[in-house]
Amino acid sequence: MQVVKLSLKKANKIPIEADTVTPDNFAGKTKEEIEAILVWYGNGQCPLGDFFTVEVEGSDSAENTKIVFEGDVSRVKRIGQGMSAGEIEINGNVDMHCGFGMKGGKIVINGDADSWLGCEMKGGEIILNGNATYYVGSGYRGESCGMRGGKITINGNAKDYLGEHMCGGEILVTGNVGLLPAISNNGGTIVIEGNATMPASEMKNGTVIIKGEISDMLPSYKEDGTEEVEGITYRKFVGDVNAGGKGMLLVK
Amino acid sequence: MRMSEILIKNANVCDPAQGINCETMDLCIRDGKIVESVSESAEVIDAAGRLTMAGGFDGHTHSAGKINVGRFMNPNDARRTLVPGLSGPEARTEKTRAQVGYNTPNTYAIGYRYAKLGYTTICEAAIPMLAARHTHEEFKEIPILDKMGLSLFGSNWQVMEYVRDKEPEKLAAYVAWGLKASRGYGVKIVNAGGGEAWGWGKNVSGLYDPVPNFDVTPAEILMGLVEANEKLQLPHSVHVHCNNLGKPGNYETTIETMKMFEKVKPTVDRQALHVTHVQFNAYAGTSWRDFETGAPMVADYLNGANHLTFDLGQVIFGPAVTMTADGPVEYANSRMLHEKWSNQDIELEDASGVVPLSYSPKSFINAVQWAIGIELALLVEDPWKIMFTTDSPNGGSFVNYPEAFTYLMSAKKREQVISGFGKMALDRMVLPGLDRELSFYELAIMTRSMQSKMYSRPEKGNLKVGSDADVAIYDIITSDIDPSVEHEKVKQAFSGAAYTLKDGNVVVKDGKIEATPMGRTYWVNAKVPADIDSAMNKDTDIKFKKYYTVSKSNYMVEDSYLPNPVEIRTEGAF
Ligand SMILES: [Zn+2]
Repeated sequence: MQVVKLSLKKANKIPIEADTVTPDNFAGKTKEEIEAILVWYGNGQCPLGDFFTVEVEGSDSAENTKIVFEGDVSRVKRIGQGMSAGEIEINGNVDMHCGFGMKGGKIVINGDADSWLGCEMKGGEIILNGNATYYVGSGYRGESCGMRGGKITINGNAKDYLGEHMCGGEILVTGNVGLLPAISNNGGTIVIEGNATMPASEMKNGTVIIKGEISDMLPSYKEDGTEEVEGITYRKFVGDVNAGGKGMLLVK
Repeated sequence: MRMSEILIKNANVCDPAQGINCETMDLCIRDGKIVESVSESAEVIDAAGRLTMAGGFDGHTHSAGKINVGRFMNPNDARRTLVPGLSGPEARTEKTRAQVGYNTPNTYAIGYRYAKLGYTTICEAAIPMLAARHTHEEFKEIPILDKMGLSLFGSNWQVMEYVRDKEPEKLAAYVAWGLKASRGYGVKIVNAGGGEAWGWGKNVSGLYDPVPNFDVTPAEILMGLVEANEKLQLPHSVHVHCNNLGKPGNYETTIETMKMFEKVKPTVDRQALHVTHVQFNAYAGTSWRDFETGAPMVADYLNGANHLTFDLGQVIFGPAVTMTADGPVEYANSRMLHEKWSNQDIELEDASGVVPLSYSPKSFINAVQWAIGIELALLVEDPWKIMFTTDSPNGGSFVNYPEAFTYLMSAKKREQVISGFGKMALDRMVLPGLDRELSFYELAIMTRSMQSKMYSRPEKGNLKVGSDADVAIYDIITSDIDPSVEHEKVKQAFSGAAYTLKDGNVVVKDGKIEATPMGRTYWVNAKVPADIDSAMNKDTDIKFKKYYTVSKSNYMVEDSYLPNPVEIRTEGAF
C-alpha cells in the first residue's frame, strides 16, 4: 500500500489544474518525484510541491495507491482526471471536473463538489458526501455522450442538468436535484430520492426513477402502466416522445 | 534597401508549370521572389535532393466566416486529436499561439497547419457579402497564408431582378460593386436560386425550375452571372456549386450545367467555368436505396470538354462539418442524420446552413461517396482540369490531405480501405477496377499548378523566375521511393514539410513553425463605366432603404479590414 497525503500550503485564488494528480501517476513515486509533477497554474506549469506539502508512506502499484487531500481544495480542478485504479479521498470542498473521464478506482469527497463532477466517466466510483453543483456525470460541451459507466453517489443535493447526455452507468442522489436532470440522456440509470424539476427531457433511452416530488412533469411522456423496482411500485412513463425516445421514467 | 537572398541547393524540383518533372537543380530567391541567380553571400538551404514544389494553393476551402458557426456548434471539435501534430489542443510556444480543433480549428491553427502541409495560399469558398466583414476579421488572424475569397451572388435579389429585366450591364456593375463591398476575388454561385426558394421553405429542383416570386430560372441566373463575370474580365471564372447537390441522380444536372457553359467565351485566358466539389454532384440512382456512383458519366463528359475545371470534394472517413449556402441541403442533412442544424437567412442575398456529420466506411452511402471523389481524379485523364480538395471541412478536414494523396498515388492503399467495405458498397462503385496511380508531377498539378491559371495568379503555384518565393520541400527522395508501396512514407512527408518558405521566409522547418509573417489578401476592383455604375447604385439604394437591416455605408468593408491588401484591377469590356 502507498499512501500520499497532500495539504495545501496556502489557499490559492488562481485555480490549479491537477489532472496529473491520479494514483496511476503517483504509484511507485517518491516524495521528491511527486513534488516535481507539473500542474497548470494560470497560463503556466508549476511543480506540485510549490503548492502542496507532500507526505508519502510506502510504495506500490496504482491499485494500491491512495491519495488523501487534507482540507479544502475548492480551487483545485480536475483531480483524478482519467484515473484507472486506486483511491482518492478529499476531506474538504473540491473544484470543477473532479473525476473527469475516470475509468476505474474510487474517489470519496467529504465536502461539496463544483460542476462537472464525474463527467464522461467510463468506470469506477465517486462518492460525494456533500452537495454537487451543475452537470454531474454529463458530457463535454457539444458531445453526444456523457457518462458511459461507473457509479456516482451523491449523499446530498445536486443542481441542474444532472446526467446530461448520459449513455451508461449509474447516478444516485439521496437529496433533491434542480432543473432538467437526465436531459438528452441515452442510457444508464439515474435514481433521485428527493425532488426534481422537468426530468428526462429529450431522453432517448435509459431509466430515471424519481422518488420525491416532480415539478413540471413534461407532457411529452406516455403513461404505460406500472413498474416495480426493489419492492416499490412506480407509475411508468415512456418517452421522450418528442425525441422518439424509448426511455423509462418512473415516478411515485 | 535590404537584400535578402537564399540559395536552395540540390532541390528535386517538380514544377509542372514549367514542365519540370523531378529534376535536381538550385533555386535562387531574392526579396521574396524567384530569380535567376544570387550572390555569394546568399543564405544556403540544402534540399539534399528532396522533393521541392511551389507552395500549395487550396482554391476551395471554408476557413474564414461560416466556419465560425461550425466552431460554436461543435465546441467538442476543439479537443479532437485524430491527426497527430495537425489537430487538437496545443499550448502556445515562443513562435505560435495556442491551437485547438480538427474540422474547425482556431484561426491561428489554420495558418500553421496549412503551412506545415506546404500550402501557402487559400481561397475561402463562400463569403456572404452581408457578413464579409467577419470573413476579413478572420483572414486577419490567419497567419502566414495569402488569402482570397469568393462572394456569393447566386440567390441575390438584385442579381435575379437584373437577370429577369435583361439588364446585363447593370448586373455586371452590381457584381463589381459587390466584390468591392465584400473585398471578394470572384463570383460564387451556390445552388442558383435555391437559397431564395429556401426562404419560402422550398428548393429549386433543377436548372429550369423558376425561383419563387422572381420569374427567373437557375439556368438564367448562371448565364446572367457568367456574362457579367466575362464582361468584367474577372481573374477567376464563375465558381459553381450545382443545383441538386447531395441527391441521388444529380449527375445529370451536373453534366447539363457543364454543357450550358460550352458556349461561353472567356475574356481572360482561363476556364469559362469552375464546378466545385463534384463528388457531391456525381450521384446516380433514383433514391438512397439504389444510390450509386455517377463518376464514370461525369468523367466521360469532362474528358471531352475543355472549357472548365473542377475540384473533388473528397470524403475523409470520420467526423466532418458541412457548411454551405445551400440551406435546403443542410435541412435535409440534419433531418436524415438526426444531427445538429444551424440555419441562417442572409437577408436579400442567400441562405446558409451548418450540420456536423460523420462519414463511416460501414455506411454504404459514405463508402460510395468516398470512392466517387477518387474515381473522378483517376477517370479524368487531364490533371490540369482537376483541383484536389476535400471542400474542407465538408468532406473532411484539410489536415487529412496527406492521407488523401495516398489514395490517389497508391492502389494498394485504396485496396486497404476498400477491404473494409460491404458488398453492397462495392457493387455501387467502379473504384476497385481502377489501377491508375498518380505521380508526384500529377499531384503537383492538382495541388498548386492548375490553381495558378484557374485564378489568373501567374506568380503563384509555380517556381518560374519572377514568381513568389513560396516553396515547399518534402522529405522524399523521388528516385528512391515507390509511392505505390511506401504510401505511409508519402503521407508522413506531406504531413510536415521539411521546409515551407513563404515569400522567401522560412515559415516551417522539419514540420515545425519557424516564423509567422502576415499574408496578403487579394481582392478584385473591376472597372465599370460611371453612368452604368450610378444607375445600378440608384437601384441598390432602394434595396438598402426598403429591405436591408444595415445602411449601404455600413455595408462596405473598409480598407482597415485588410491590413495587407493586393488590389487586382480589371478594365472590363463594356
Ligand atoms: Zn465548399
